[in-house]
Amino acid sequence: MARIELRNIQKFFGAVQVLKDVNLTIEDGEFVVMLGQSGCGKTTTLRAIAGLETVSTGTISIDGREVQDLRAADRDIAFVFQSFSLYPHMTVQENIAFPLRAVGMSQSSRDAAVKEVAKVLEIERFLHRKPSALSGGDMQRVAIGRALVRRPKALLMDEPIGALDAKLREQMRAEIKRLHISRNSTSVYVTHDQIEAMSLADRIVVMHAGLLQQVGTPEEVYNRPANLFVAQFVGSPVMNVAEVAPQSDGLSFGSGAVLPVAPGLVSHLPAERALRLGIRPEAVVLSESGAAGLLESRISNIEPLGSHEIVDVVLGSTTLRARTEPGRLRTGAPVWVGIDTERAHFFDADSGMALRRIA
Amino acid sequence: MAEVKTKGEVIVNRAAIVAVMLALVVMLTPILWITATAFKPRNLATTVPPTVMFEPTLSPFAKLFTKRSQLREPVEQEVYDAAPWWEQLVFDGGEQVVRNKKTGEATPSGFGGRYLNSLIVSIVSTVLAVSMGTITAYGFSRFRVPGEQDWLFFILSTRMLPPIVVAIPMFLMYRAVGLYDTHIGLIILYTAFNLSFAVWIMKGFIDEIPREYEEAALVDGYTRLQAFFKIVLPEALTGIAATAVFCFITAWNEYAFALMMTSRNAQTAPPYIPSQVGSGLSDWTVIASGTFLFLLPVAIFTFLLRNHLLRGMSFGAIRK
Repeated sequence: MARIELRNIQKFFGAVQVLKDVNLTIEDGEFVVMLGQSGCGKTTTLRAIAGLETVSTGTISIDGREVQDLRAADRDIAFVFQSFSLYPHMTVQENIAFPLRAVGMSQSSRDAAVKEVAKVLEIERFLHRKPSALSGGDMQRVAIGRALVRRPKALLMDEPIGALDAKLREQMRAEIKRLHISRNSTSVYVTHDQIEAMSLADRIVVMHAGLLQQVGTPEEVYNRPANLFVAQFVGSPVMNVAEVAPQSDGLSFGSGAVLPVAPGLVSHLPAERALRLGIRPEAVVLSESGAAGLLESRISNIEPLGSHEIVDVVLGSTTLRARTEPGRLRTGAPVWVGIDTERAHFFDADSGMALRRIA
Repeated sequence: MAEVKTKGEVIVNRAAIVAVMLALVVMLTPILWITATAFKPRNLATTVPPTVMFEPTLSPFAKLFTKRSQLREPVEQEVYDAAPWWEQLVFDGGEQVVRNKKTGEATPSGFGGRYLNSLIVSIVSTVLAVSMGTITAYGFSRFRVPGEQDWLFFILSTRMLPPIVVAIPMFLMYRAVGLYDTHIGLIILYTAFNLSFAVWIMKGFIDEIPREYEEAALVDGYTRLQAFFKIVLPEALTGIAATAVFCFITAWNEYAFALMMTSRNAQTAPPYIPSQVGSGLSDWTVIASGTFLFLLPVAIFTFLLRNHLLRGMSFGAIRK
């Protein structure tokens, strides 16, 4: 197992710069998830670590050894593709043994290694089938088996369960987590699915436009987003972002709607800059009666989702989405809205960067 | 999968079967005719109406492979009995084998050697065209080649004019460099004919093979060349088979250049068979037996590769 370090990685495809100075250290045994939209550079970063893509500048080291000029074969890294990439003309057994044949391992040790991995992944009964005769989940188990069989320094996964259906995805997610815990392999996992990222990662790397936006634990990324992009990318439903202006008696949402908040919350905000308030739907407080710190509003829409409801409330010139227990409120009924100030985030409107209270 | 068919679909289906059967009759009748004639005694070959029931004989084949002349009078029984089986077959066909005056050995006709020439030239040029085409196609498919589109168009453009247009300059060139009437000359020519075709067809097949297979092999510890041989080639087998069949048929059937570029040593079978039509009284059974033998390799080759061909010809139509 290994520690992977990326230093000042840049990558150009022709004139297009897809990676802009990526710096990242992945600790030994850590499960890092790179999260971002398609085209953000996350897959390119992963392929650069694997050696499937060259980097234009910068260094990649694995356990202190610079590998950016080595061939993929010499980096001792395994890769799991979204398309599984099982060799169609080989049986499952041959597929899993394929990396071992590259290093000239004897037939008997190969068989033993394949058997062991197959047992862990519960694919023993498929060993003599061709990949085309397997279900999607089993194909991915075989692909993971092929990756793990030679005990690589690190396991790289590019949306490994993205091609599966929702139910199977959930199951495979749990299996990958279990496997990681039992093997403790350094893992880098690329996905655009924030639920996968939150549930699997020791640390999440949020990428956008070739830049790392934030690197942190799932808890940090969710509760202390570094900027507007991260704030809106992580979390479902999406974090509310509203244009606000701090006033002496509260936060103005435009059109004369001023939400009274404790002076301590707004006094540190720079008055001369345009601001955005970020508030997660579960931090929007709704009440059927007025109280201090609440502002009367109206409900414009309710989305019932079974376990909870998403309620849209109009506040000045913006609409906030709130998460409430089901059946509590009706459309058109009067409602009083407040925010949990402990969970309110403020962002600079121009740079998008989070403003943090220094205290 | 069980499919429920409507009445209309059943009718369309049956009509299609009838149409296919009609087409088969049209296409297979000449082959049946040639095959029948190849085994007929000479006097039954050109009867009107055609003889359908006859006792098959190998006499036309024996005649095909030997140099012979007309029998002036019936052969004596002793001579007939003393002759080897193939010579008896020639006697059966109403002719006698021409023997060398000094050694007394039978003279073979040109057919055997030319048939062998056909096999050598076609097989070698097919192997060359398909292997070079596969490697070239792999390069175009997987790497960024400067001016890729222009190169591919250039390769395709070699097929845009009828080859016979360049026959005379080729003939002069070949004579000047000593390639006239050599096997290697014909092999180069047919490889060049087929190469552009092979590149384009193979590029289509290789484009269909996901790059991830090779990338998986690369991270699994193999070099690109190993990945090519262990992963790409087995995956491209269907395409290689289809391309090989087409290249082989082209080389095997080629007539015009074989006629112009060769004379004695390297001439292939296609120019030989029609040359027998014109020499004196045509013996159609001998021509038919030559044609029958000429059909065989292509039929066998195609039959052996039929499974690959079926998949190969519908490539691109299958969703991955």
